[in-house]
Amino acid sequence: MVLPPVAVVAVFIGFPVGAAIAYTLGKTGGPNSTVALFAQRQHVAKHGVTFAAYREVLGNAHVRGDLWATVWVTLVTIAVVVLLSWTIGLYVRLSDTRIARTVSALSVVPLFIPVVIASYAILTFYAAQGFIKTLAYHVGWHSFPTLGYTLWAVVIGEIWVNVPFGVLMMTSGLNSVPNALIEAARDSGASLPRTVRSVLLPMNVIPTVIVATFTGIYVLGSFTVPYLTGPSAPNLMGVSMAQFFSSFNQPQQAEVMAMIVFALAAGIGTIYVWANMRAAKRSSVTS
Amino acid sequence: MSAVDGQGVALGGLEHAGLPVARARRGRRPTVRSVTLRALGVFVVVVLLLFMIGPILWLALRAFSGLWQYPQFLPSHWTLKWWSSVFADRSLGHSIQLSFEFAPVVTFASAAICLPAAYAFSRFNFPGRRVLLVSLFATNAFPKIGLYISMAGVFYSLNLMGTFLGVVIVQLIGTIVFMTWIPTAAFSAIPRSLEEAARDVGAGPLRVFFRVTFPLAAPGIFVAMILTFLASFDEAQGTFLVGIPNYITMPTEMYTLVLNYPEQAAAVFSILLAIPSVILMSLARKHVMGGKLAEGFQIR
Repeated sequence: MVLPPVAVVAVFIGFPVGAAIAYTLGKTGGPNSTVALFAQRQHVAKHGVTFAAYREVLGNAHVRGDLWATVWVTLVTIAVVVLLSWTIGLYVRLSDTRIARTVSALSVVPLFIPVVIASYAILTFYAAQGFIKTLAYHVGWHSFPTLGYTLWAVVIGEIWVNVPFGVLMMTSGLNSVPNALIEAARDSGASLPRTVRSVLLPMNVIPTVIVATFTGIYVLGSFTVPYLTGPSAPNLMGVSMAQFFSSFNQPQQAEVMAMIVFALAAGIGTIYVWANMRAAKRSSVTS
Repeated sequence: MSAVDGQGVALGGLEHAGLPVARARRGRRPTVRSVTLRALGVFVVVVLLLFMIGPILWLALRAFSGLWQYPQFLPSHWTLKWWSSVFADRSLGHSIQLSFEFAPVVTFASAAICLPAAYAFSRFNFPGRRVLLVSLFATNAFPKIGLYISMAGVFYSLNLMGTFLGVVIVQLIGTIVFMTWIPTAAFSAIPRSLEEAARDVGAGPLRVFFRVTFPLAAPGIFVAMILTFLASFDEAQGTFLVGIPNYITMPTEMYTLVLNYPEQAAAVFSILLAIPSVILMSLARKHVMGGKLAEGFQIR
């Protein structure tokens, strides 16, 4: 019964990724033979493997610019999304006012909106004639920068898209901490920040790690948000990858970029799996 | 919020930052502290409103604007002509139809592949169970666009480029985790004693499944199916890479619209594309907020 999904993953993820690794190392036979027919500027290994494709891609200053832009946007997005999810989650957990409920309802709005539309909406909102510029104009700040088509717009878009998942995870994590624990800490004189630090934070490491890793991997693999809201260069790797593949007819170079992004994500994914395994071990001991 | 009411918790701070269950706020006089906190809360709501809803409203206005000059907050002339021009456009209509073909196919294919596995993961403890469950995470561990590029490279040899099946596979890949993990959590939440009780009074295994297990797990399965439908319906980047030029769905059409059509037409199309998402998510909202999604992501 468990075979079908595992087989789908093996055939349509394991196999293509394996073939892509071989292709980036100069192996143009087997499953790569069709794509190799029309590929431009291909590096082929006569025997063994060649790293020529990697050398070419990493030697390209534009690609290096994209790589730094990707790392930068990913880190900033993770930081802001974790911070925002914790703040909103804590507020909802500790306060039962109408304001808190409004905040939690607002923060999940992006779930209802397709990413393509969100990206386009964010672009027009922060564009040269968008709402933010209009607002700045009316309060007299005429030199307010245009954020549309800059990496800032990409960061804003990525945050917008990732906040609901973060808030849902943190709210659920924080709600699983019993009231009695928080009250006990407060009654014995702990301030609120102290309670957060010594009770809520240690009990919510896993949800936090999940939010950070999923956000990071999402940003690394995103195309729509940077394509629609970002600058032409440097932009995120996802955009240049698709360009090299479809527009420049250089699938090998595109797949090299994919491997670079995979390597970045592998680091993040390892943390996630490790944290989950650790949590599972701990809960199997206690319960 | 939490940083604000640091020290003086003993006095007024608890009223707002305090625990909802612990202290009643009613009947107390407002203090400077509680008023400040309240004002801060309202400020946060306004900023969040602007950040979250602002772009959507700004785009929606555009769909009805005839003339809108910077720096005006609203269009100076309103019109509905963009709506009729979008409805009259053949290729746009075709992409709408395509989206409604792919999404149900992907949803049912994904359910057929994943639901039996979800049941097995929750009910049987077999060797390698954890490893297999975690291995499905491979679909989410690879950054999406990189994965699609790798898939597309091989799809040429498999004759899947530009085919219906190719697009279905690309869209399906992203839904396997929802469709397995969320129903697994839903099945696991059902106490085995309920099933055993039904069996004790003489129900066969199939009857137990359809009368006891399935109805109890249905909300989780329902959420997984809605999320899958929407994931397929909204998927643009993989479909763009693999489906072009034969299969251009609604979200993929947006890429071209944004570049080649007037802004107002793109706005109209955006509203149309958002309608199914808003309706379906509203149906699933209660369960998603209730933690079904979060539960599914903690491997057990």
